[in-house]
Amino acid sequence: MRFIISLALKNLTRYKRRTIITAVAIAVGLMMYIVVDSILLGAEFESMRNLRWYETASARIMHPDYWEERLMRPLDISIDDPNTIVDALRKEGIAAAPRTMFSADLILYSDDFGEDGNMPVQVTAVDPELDNTVFRFEDTLIEGRFVESGTNELVIGSWFAEDIGAKVGYWVTLVTRGNGGFYEAMDMQIVGIVNCPNPNVNRTLLMVPIDTIGDYLAMEGAATEINIALPENAEIAEEVARIQQLIDPSGNDLLVVSWDDLARDYVALAEAKRGGTGMILFLVFIIAAVGISNTMLMAIYERIRELGMMRALGMNDRSIQLAFMVEAGGIGLIGSTIGVLLGIAINFYMVNVGIDFGLLMRDMDMGYRIQSSFRGTWSPSTIITAFFFGSILSMLVAWIPTRRALKMDIPSCLRHQ
Amino acid sequence: MIQVQNVIRNYKAGETVVKALKGVSLDIGDGEFLSIAGPSGSGKTTLLNLIGCIDALDGGEITIEGQPVSGMDKKTKTEFRRNNLGFIFQTYNLIPVLSAYENVSFVLSILNIPEKEIEERTMRILKEVGLEGMEHRRPDRLSGGQQQRIAIARALVKNPKIVLADEPTANLDSKTGEEILKLMKEMNRKYHTTFIFSTHDSMVMDYAARLVLLHDGQIVSDERR
Repeated sequence: MRFIISLALKNLTRYKRRTIITAVAIAVGLMMYIVVDSILLGAEFESMRNLRWYETASARIMHPDYWEERLMRPLDISIDDPNTIVDALRKEGIAAAPRTMFSADLILYSDDFGEDGNMPVQVTAVDPELDNTVFRFEDTLIEGRFVESGTNELVIGSWFAEDIGAKVGYWVTLVTRGNGGFYEAMDMQIVGIVNCPNPNVNRTLLMVPIDTIGDYLAMEGAATEINIALPENAEIAEEVARIQQLIDPSGNDLLVVSWDDLARDYVALAEAKRGGTGMILFLVFIIAAVGISNTMLMAIYERIRELGMMRALGMNDRSIQLAFMVEAGGIGLIGSTIGVLLGIAINFYMVNVGIDFGLLMRDMDMGYRIQSSFRGTWSPSTIITAFFFGSILSMLVAWIPTRRALKMDIPSCLRHQ
Repeated sequence: MIQVQNVIRNYKAGETVVKALKGVSLDIGDGEFLSIAGPSGSGKTTLLNLIGCIDALDGGEITIEGQPVSGMDKKTKTEFRRNNLGFIFQTYNLIPVLSAYENVSFVLSILNIPEKEIEERTMRILKEVGLEGMEHRRPDRLSGGQQQRIAIARALVKNPKIVLADEPTANLDSKTGEEILKLMKEMNRKYHTTFIFSTHDSMVMDYAARLVLLHDGQIVSDERR
């Protein structure tokens, strides 16, 4: 065994250039895998966080029928007494805040905007006192202030404001149908502009006080949903079940939906992108396998006479095969070590600085809830997997060409030129 | 020691069947220094390969130390070669990344001999073949003659019963070739190892204690000297 390992390691230095080229191919592949996996994983973590902080909260309580028809934003399927539930949850140490979502037509006037216009929008009515205990908009204000209860005030997303040319102090009108179907027009003044890390929110956000809207739309204290914030490390499914048990005795027949159900589209997209990482791993597999296999094929072809000599002298096929596999494993080990070290070095930059895709994200929806810098994350399991994958795969792919060479009879090996 | 009985070996060259050995019979005793001579294509190497258990018989039988070769499977043949046979090749076939010492000692490593004994035996045989002080040199830093000395040391280090040498001097100049033959003869005398070597060189034939002449796959003369 010692001889086999010693021979294999010495053979690594026999064709230095070839060893280096193959090792570099493996290293580049593994480095790419580590970095891409880190970026995708980082983007996924950050997107999930930004979804919970600015879009879905950790979980949401709503009427089961509202959940079914949520795209229509029906105001008549609502939670009658949201404050009682919010208070009950807060007593249990769970942060909760009611919201009412509705569709409207946004009317812009030439006085402020230079020309008249209108567009369909989704409006979020919030409780200014409670909303920031669940969502994190407080720190995202770049201009003006947050809405106050009982006022005709409106906060707008920064990209939305940019798109329509809105500024703090401008007036707009929201035209919608109230609870019962009557038409209502509400004049609202823009008091703040928020720029949060979730591009979807920046693109679409219009936030108004829930009590003002309740009066306009005849909600009579009802809200369409109650949003809940859970600790970052909470087991969401368990907490959802616990909250469901807490609200069931109220007899309101309400449903608690976790954030990943609310963001089903995003979760599906993330899963598809995870599949993309699998494709990268497969490509790395191909690069490493072809590189090593080719190197070992050439190494074996050039050493057929030597192989014949070893067999003639009584070395068994298993030992010869092992020698070539250890040699290939050595190349894999060099490549994997370099790849992992390079991957860690680049990932260090990715974790601490990241790549700014701000300009791209402004005009394109990639599905991720990240506004500017894509940052990596440390995934020890990926790094360990990459290292062992590169080393072990290299050994395995050497098996085929060695096996083929060992099928030649010994005299043919000894005659080989 | 070795009985070659009516051995037949045919090769296929495309559609044609080449009859390399046409019923060769030969008895080789312990400690012989035997040369198998003949022109190219006469079947010398084929006969050596068959005696060396690295080629398969098409007919007849070879018995070595009472063991019929045709009855051995691949694994048994490998073990038999490992324990009983030494090989010397025309082109030395040394492993270029290993030193002279390692090229010789690996034969003992595969026999699972303890490290200390490997060292003793390797150093002793290298000294005997005149390579003392050169044990750490790699083959590319040695002359052809010195490389063939390593090959002889490699063949003899495990004290085999038989050493088979295929044209051992063909790649050497006449002076070095003669030195190699003298060394082989000396080892034959000292260890009583049976040496069977093929050649088509008359100088080499002169050194043989027994000369078997092959022509077209048949023995045409068998002369003891």
